[in-house]
Amino acid sequence: MKKISFIVLGMVLIGLSSCYKKDNYDAPNAGVHGNVIDSYTGKPLLASQNDWQIRIWERSWTAGTVNNQTIPIKQDGSYNNSKLFAGTYDMLPYGGPFWPIADTTRGVVFTKNGTTNDFTVTPYLQVVDFTTSLVGTNLTMTCRLKAPKRTGLPNLVEIKPYLSLTQFVGESNFINIGEYTNKRIQINKSWLTEVGDIETSNVYTLGPLPVKSGYTYQVRIGANVNDANRKYNYSEIKTVTVP
Amino acid sequence: MKRYILLSTALLAMVFFSCQRLNLEPKGILGEPELFGNEFGVKKYFTALYNYLPIEDFVYYGNNNASAYRPGNYWEAGKNSQGNCSAEFFNTWQGVNNGGFAYWPYDRIRECNLFIQNFPNYKSAFSTTTYNALMGEAYFLRAFFYSGLAKRYGGVPIVKEVQDPLGDKAALAVPRNTEYDTWKFIYTDLKFAMDNMPASSERGRANKYVAAALMSRTMLYAGSIAKYTQYLGFSNEAAVKNGTAGIDPTKANEFFQYSVDAGKFIEAGPYALYTKDYPDKALNFANAFLDVTSTENIFIKDFDQTVPGDTRLRHTYDALMCPQPDMSSFVGAESYPPLDFMELYDMTPYVNPDGTPVRFNNRSDIRAGMEPRMRGTMFMDGDVLRGKTFSIQRGIYKTYTGTAADAQNGSNAAPINSGGNRITGGRGATTTINGVTLVIAGAHGNFEDQGGENNGWGSAFVRKYINPNMAVSDVREYKSGQHWIVFRLGEIYLNTAEALYELGNRAEAFNYIEKLRIRAGSAVARPAIDQTLSNIGSINKANYPYQIEKSLQFIRDEREREMYGENQWWWDIRRWRTADQILNNYRPRLLNCYFVANEGKYIFLDEANRLNRGWTASKSCFYEPIPGGEIGKNGKLLPNNPLY
Repeated sequence: MKKISFIVLGMVLIGLSSCYKKDNYDAPNAGVHGNVIDSYTGKPLLASQNDWQIRIWERSWTAGTVNNQTIPIKQDGSYNNSKLFAGTYDMLPYGGPFWPIADTTRGVVFTKNGTTNDFTVTPYLQVVDFTTSLVGTNLTMTCRLKAPKRTGLPNLVEIKPYLSLTQFVGESNFINIGEYTNKRIQINKSWLTEVGDIETSNVYTLGPLPVKSGYTYQVRIGANVNDANRKYNYSEIKTVTVP
Repeated sequence: MKRYILLSTALLAMVFFSCQRLNLEPKGILGEPELFGNEFGVKKYFTALYNYLPIEDFVYYGNNNASAYRPGNYWEAGKNSQGNCSAEFFNTWQGVNNGGFAYWPYDRIRECNLFIQNFPNYKSAFSTTTYNALMGEAYFLRAFFYSGLAKRYGGVPIVKEVQDPLGDKAALAVPRNTEYDTWKFIYTDLKFAMDNMPASSERGRANKYVAAALMSRTMLYAGSIAKYTQYLGFSNEAAVKNGTAGIDPTKANEFFQYSVDAGKFIEAGPYALYTKDYPDKALNFANAFLDVTSTENIFIKDFDQTVPGDTRLRHTYDALMCPQPDMSSFVGAESYPPLDFMELYDMTPYVNPDGTPVRFNNRSDIRAGMEPRMRGTMFMDGDVLRGKTFSIQRGIYKTYTGTAADAQNGSNAAPINSGGNRITGGRGATTTINGVTLVIAGAHGNFEDQGGENNGWGSAFVRKYINPNMAVSDVREYKSGQHWIVFRLGEIYLNTAEALYELGNRAEAFNYIEKLRIRAGSAVARPAIDQTLSNIGSINKANYPYQIEKSLQFIRDEREREMYGENQWWWDIRRWRTADQILNNYRPRLLNCYFVANEGKYIFLDEANRLNRGWTASKSCFYEPIPGGEIGKNGKLLPNNPLY
């Protein structure tokens, strides 16, 4: 009796497990990292966390259509992904606030310990002479815009203040309330009409922005042009402590 | 023992033989001769296609859902409606769906193609008129499916033949056609339908005027795409370079002219603006959407209380637009008109020239001098529905000295709102001022302690399409049966007017606007043409990337005044290429009513919504990405649309 039960149990197990296959493919363990360098400053491009991405295409995969994967940009202009399959990839920083990059970087080999690959881009705008001033609980910011390359520059769209209570500040993380966003300066004009045929604009003043006593804010200014993605070029971040 | 053997045998039988196929000829399936060989068979075949047409009606989910046109749990469409997604309605549920939901109806297009290809074999069974009519109907249906694709993706593969699934793999992978060719293909199909179909049809089926109505709408769409895509800054995008997204601007007038021609073709038909309930123009406008015999209807989709539950032909619009428990017996209202949209209509001023709020003796006095069409579109305080009167109030001011601006759009930080001077409260909450007990909020909102559901935000509820002739106890899920108007003459007039204006025929365009504004009861039926250029729009003072004449902006606004809540707004701001600017951190403003206790009067204030709800459309909304699964099957669909 017991024997029959065991035999039956065994056969059922065989029946149920006959289609089992082990996934013998290694988990992804290769990677790529690096910086996106601002060609004007020579330093990493000022960015906002995951505001835009670097597109990658795995070319060592030939069994089907290759759709791009993306690696998000970090606030300090660096990027890193350490969980990719080893292989040969094409790479292109795409959709950021810079002049489109003509050529995809082809044939980058991603290896086990991580390949380093830097890119250099030319931003549309630079936000310079960034200042903050606090009067009571009203914060005012000023900046000037700089456009070294003006031929073919899309129209200016807006200049926008960003405030945050964490270290992350920019389009992907800011205090999104009408009191602040309504203080953005909407332009929608060409550089020539708005600024003239010169490299640096006059001073733009944003504010007053009501802030709360006892808080420490991280603040910056972003400005964008009407290209396809309309992402922002940022000033550096300043810390404002409200007494 | 015997039981064990039996059990074991059964178990083994299951495990080892579960994949046995029952290879039997199915019975009771209608084949091609039964379906294509007689009129009733064709009707049955077409019914299924009509059921799947991309009509954005009461049950359409505007958000991310693989079966947006035939969703499960479709009572929830009221929460997921296109109006909610695009901020035409203020709500607390939905944001903009920039990426779409992978609409890809090539299965239905195949059914159209199958008919078009094989129906000629049965020609002898029909009179020439009937044969032509049915063939035209198939072309109309195919064009409708393609229009649902083209407005989302731009250029798509044009498949006109029935593909053999076992055929050459390379031939099955059809590349995308250009966006110009795709719209032209829709034009050709509709032209065929208009030339071959009769002037009338049974309700819910197409005739030549229905085909022309789709032509009027789609060709205006295509014309706008051609004219305004250039301002998006997409010129470096691969899909724009090869023409699969975007159309050469010089082609715009060609499409605008097609739209005008289709509009004039319809004018020869038996349609007239609905005026049955004159002289009450507000009631007349409301009833235009409820009277199934309206002379304005060109094509409607019937909903019906008597059909089986899972047909998607019953809806829940009334239960999700009206406050519970007075006018709905379900969860209650989900959507409210923002002030930004109310301002488009004629309204009595609520701020004096010196900046102070106007004092009203009654809350319902806000309705005085309001455009009748607005009253037909929205319910205000004092209006009656299903035997109950709307009662909408935000709160109480003990005193209100100073200007409307002193309230700082309802900010708690404003001095006039602090120190207990402004009182807000929950449902039924009361306060006592100088010995008098007052109810703080209206019976239908706005309640300070509740979110978006069943809580009147602002000063209005949606009236369009609401059926007043239902017992409150019947206003429940799946209990509404009023029809959806797919095309009506009012829209055709607006299409023609806009296309004419784009073509430079300004005065003629305003002939159509005038007709609509007379029916609407607007103060000025025919405003003077103003050719001043501006790039600032009406809603959210949007900063368009191009300049247009003020009268063209007026026509665009007229479109929204007339078609508020008809699921056209999102497609309109998309084709004008202004969606990303109109919904650029757009926070709907709300018109809120307060009782000023020491004066015994009411004031209305322009306030920010206290939940800080905002809508943002990115530029990636102008073209949806080609579905990833389709690219996996057919690499020729690349390059993908701009920004994807």
